Amino acid sequence: MKTLTIEKLTKSYAKETVALDEFSLGIDQGGCIGIVGESGSGKSTLARILLGLESFDQGQILFKGLQIPPKKKKDYRDYRRDVQMVFQDATSALNPKLPIWKIILEPLDNFKEVKPSFIKEDGLSRKAVASHLLEMVGLEREFVDRYPYQLSGGQKQRVSIARAISLEPSLLICDEPTASLDVTVQFQILELLKKLQEETNMTILFISHDIRAVTFLCEKIVVLKQGIIVDHFHMKDLYKKNRHLYTKQLIKVASLS
Amino acid sequence: MKDQLISIEHLFVTLNGSHQPLLEDVNLTIKMGEMVGLIGESGSGKSLTSRAVTGLLPKEMRVSGRISYGGNNLLELSDKERYKQLGIKIGYIFQDYRGSFTPFIRIGKQMTETIRTHIKLTKKQSEQLAREVLNEVGLEDKTIYHRFPFQLSGGQIQRAAVAMTLALKPELIICDEMTTALDVITGEKVLNYLAKVQKETGCAVLIITHDLAQAYKHTNRIYVMQQGRIVEEGLSEEVRCHHKHPYTKKLCSCLLALPGEDLITTASQVMVK
Amino acid sequence: MKKGNATLFNLPITTKLGITLVSFLLILIFFGEWIMPYDPFQIDMNNRLESMSHQHWLGTDQLGRDIFSRIVYGAKLTIGLGVITIILSVIVGVPIGLISGFSGGKIDAVFMRIIDAILTFPDFILAIAIAGLLGPSLTNIVIAIVLVRWIVYARLVRSQVLELKQQEYILASKISYSSKWRTIRMHILPHLIPTIIAIGAVDVGKVILLISSLSYIGLGAQPHIPEWGAMLNDGRGYFQVVPALMMYPGLAIMLTVLIFHLLGDGLKNRFDIRKRGLRK
Repeated sequence: MKTLTIEKLTKSYAKETVALDEFSLGIDQGGCIGIVGESGSGKSTLARILLGLESFDQGQILFKGLQIPPKKKKDYRDYRRDVQMVFQDATSALNPKLPIWKIILEPLDNFKEVKPSFIKEDGLSRKAVASHLLEMVGLEREFVDRYPYQLSGGQKQRVSIARAISLEPSLLICDEPTASLDVTVQFQILELLKKLQEETNMTILFISHDIRAVTFLCEKIVVLKQGIIVDHFHMKDLYKKNRHLYTKQLIKVASLS
Repeated sequence: MKDQLISIEHLFVTLNGSHQPLLEDVNLTIKMGEMVGLIGESGSGKSLTSRAVTGLLPKEMRVSGRISYGGNNLLELSDKERYKQLGIKIGYIFQDYRGSFTPFIRIGKQMTETIRTHIKLTKKQSEQLAREVLNEVGLEDKTIYHRFPFQLSGGQIQRAAVAMTLALKPELIICDEMTTALDVITGEKVLNYLAKVQKETGCAVLIITHDLAQAYKHTNRIYVMQQGRIVEEGLSEEVRCHHKHPYTKKLCSCLLALPGEDLITTASQVMVK
Repeated sequence: MKKGNATLFNLPITTKLGITLVSFLLILIFFGEWIMPYDPFQIDMNNRLESMSHQHWLGTDQLGRDIFSRIVYGAKLTIGLGVITIILSVIVGVPIGLISGFSGGKIDAVFMRIIDAILTFPDFILAIAIAGLLGPSLTNIVIAIVLVRWIVYARLVRSQVLELKQQEYILASKISYSSKWRTIRMHILPHLIPTIIAIGAVDVGKVILLISSLSYIGLGAQPHIPEWGAMLNDGRGYFQVVPALMMYPGLAIMLTVLIFHLLGDGLKNRFDIRKRGLRK
């Protein structure tokens, strides 16, 4: 069974601006799926709908057999635990008034009964759990007591990732997580996501306009244009002749020749 | 050295009250008709360099060094003299395309007025010129000329900005992160038009960008900047394949390869159209 | 690195002045009993309407009461009432602003209509109307002003909440299954408190003015109570003969309002700078 099934998802804002048009997609557990599109392609709308931050007009979404967003309280709680997100703008995603450890632990504090598998010992202090998470995303333990404004863009994004993986979700949605970062930092974040995916077997839905980043991280690629899937293929078929014209254009622009 | 258009020599920029210079011993030359790239990450000082050239540095900054242009040191000129000497010879295109035009005045009117403040032309002639340059960047003058800026897409506005700059027949166009606010495909289009008119008019272009792929593709020569210094300079091909400085190496290694693409040797044969 | 942690020493001079003067006012309020040379209620018909002297620094009023003592006593009353009124307005206004801004929709619309309706009247007129209905007493005056003043805080909080709601960390909080109350406590209140304190400080001055005005027209403190506004009212009859009776309470009000303005303005700037530092 697919982990996530999206069927004919349609969402429009005003009468004439259709953000998503009969969007259908099935995703298995594990692996990275890349969604490529330019601004206005509806890719961010998709992320927000999957996270239950926005409603949709038609279609249905099934996550582990449950309708999204779930109606029952218990199901809703499980869904919140299982689906997490990394935002584009890490600066806006971290509350400037809180120290890093409080930011990271917000999800775990809401699920007191959850004992993440990366915590081996019992009775760790909350700060120790936070610093453990920081180490998992490649930051030093000392960062727990710092505040977001003392961190660089890449470090902030790492903190944001640490918060998202703290509940060990089975689906991690990343909406342009590298778009506002420097080239060298982008690369590090992508490597981190790849490593985390391999270690935990979570599914990553990677949304980006950067086809280079997507091909680096993902096995499967969906190309979105004005709310419609124009192309859907496996990485190894990237250069096949039957690629959609738009995909070819995107590749051509990204290439060096 | 005769064909040298502009040369920056030992440029230092320091914030008042600080000892750490923001730009340190920057040397950069642009020859006539050249496409030069200036790449670096945020905070490397690439925009600051272009601001020094155009005299847009904030007053709290101290500058030393020399920027030679046509026998003058631009840094020593007062604003008025600079304007007199340079006039319209250096064009500037910004990242934020919304700032290029006033939103509630028709594109055509803005263009002709700008042209006429700089060049002595009759209304008819300037309109003729505006329409010409619009066509040159691939915009239909019949429709665009009477449109308001808010009716155009980002790519169209950015192209119109290029057209505007071209109408003044500059010797140098500085593009500061021109495509960053645009879609990839649109950005590519704008760059292609820029390259086309560059070839036709023979002006020099300085492309300031953080995007390595863009610099490789569209420039002849590249300067790599890190923390206020130029760490490497060379032909695009050289910088890409035979770089020497560790920072350039780091930058280049962070450019993710498309599958099957070899970034070090020529990538051109591998690509499928 | 920690740009935001400005100490007492590198504050702008006006803020320092504000803080110093407010401390002075606080001393007056808490230790006034010891400073007062006379009982402010002590009537002494032998020494009526005396001018400034060593015995009576600011003279005496028409009943021979020491004006200086009455002003010191009045400081406690006037400023205390001002502060209490603001605290009550915050207690009423902030939750309404939070609920309104955070839930949006119908609840928001209802509150906003109520606020619009109240706003159509000038607040002074409305306060007079309410105080008039309730009858003249200091408690009623506080109630009347709170009923007018909570709007300031409700609107302030609502607009800030609407702005903060756009921040992605609020979304992240929702995704983390935090309850609404927890989100508010963790992510919204810490941002609001500085602004509320700053606006509140300025507002104390305004409210003191309002209380005194109401007392002056006889809706607040009764004439024998040395509330500054009431003192003004009290001295009205003798103004032509002994201007001091109205001058000193008037000056006291003016200075107090000014001091709170200085403090509030300073705090406002201070928190703004802090915010900028944090965003960087």
